[in-house]
Amino acid sequence: MRAGPHRLAIALACVGAMLLSGGASGAGAAVDAGAGKPAAHRVVIDGLKYEPETLTVKRGDTVVWTNKDPFPHTVTAPGKFDSRDIAADGSWKYVARAAGEYSYICTLHPTMKGMLRVE
Amino acid sequence: MKNIGIVLTSALFLAAGGVAAQAPNDAQIAHIVVTANQVDIDAGKLAQQKGSTKDVKDFGKMMVTDHTGVNKQAVALVTKLKVKPEDNPTSQSLKSGGEDNLKNLKTLKGKAFDKAYIDHEVAYHQQVLDAVDKTLLPSAKNEELKALITKVRPAFVAHLEHAKMIQSSMKM
Repeated sequence: MRAGPHRLAIALACVGAMLLSGGASGAGAAVDAGAGKPAAHRVVIDGLKYEPETLTVKRGDTVVWTNKDPFPHTVTAPGKFDSRDIAADGSWKYVARAAGEYSYICTLHPTMKGMLRVE
Repeated sequence: MKNIGIVLTSALFLAAGGVAAQAPNDAQIAHIVVTANQVDIDAGKLAQQKGSTKDVKDFGKMMVTDHTGVNKQAVALVTKLKVKPEDNPTSQSLKSGGEDNLKNLKTLKGKAFDKAYIDHEVAYHQQVLDAVDKTLLPSAKNEELKALITKVRPAFVAHLEHAKMIQSSMKM
């Protein structure tokens, strides 16, 4: 029982560290990273930014982009993949099958840029 | 065009703290946000019809889509907060500036229309951003209203950059 408060403190410190490190530990983190199994990754579109801007995944992994802005965006790597319009609060799923570096943009907002690395 | 620049400047000068003693209250800020979006929606609709290039038409369409989305959020928030947006001199100047802009744009065609529309969009977004930073954000009391303005600010920045990209491509 004595370990209780101590463990709690460690747990809280970890949560604090996660919060401080911002999106890095939340958005884009592998949600279901079992050994050898395909993982699911998240990219959040918020304030006209992809978060994380660069995401590295393994072949076969799934990436879901979720649009938190009140207007549509796209996830478009010309000639490679294209989400078409993702509505406000909508999302788009992509299974990363081929290795490579895919820089992508929002065709509606050309100032928005992101990168998907598939290993 | 010069008149429009002056009207626009004075409208946003009010918003940007020209009348420092009269910081807008939250009901007025909500009205300014909705009006600023609506003015740009109206200009965007015209650009969709009259723009002579795909870039200009697409930009106009995006202005309509994005600012309509922002306004939906703004209206949802004021409904939730039970705030009744309150008309004020800044909103009135924005509105009359917008009307003057439309009146001018309707007399223009082709490349002249494109240039006048995009030039105005660059100036407009820059001045709305100044108003956001110098008056609306510092004056807003309600945290959710402040959060909404903070959330949509990057859209104004992206629109400004995008309009500048089109502006410089037209000069080539």
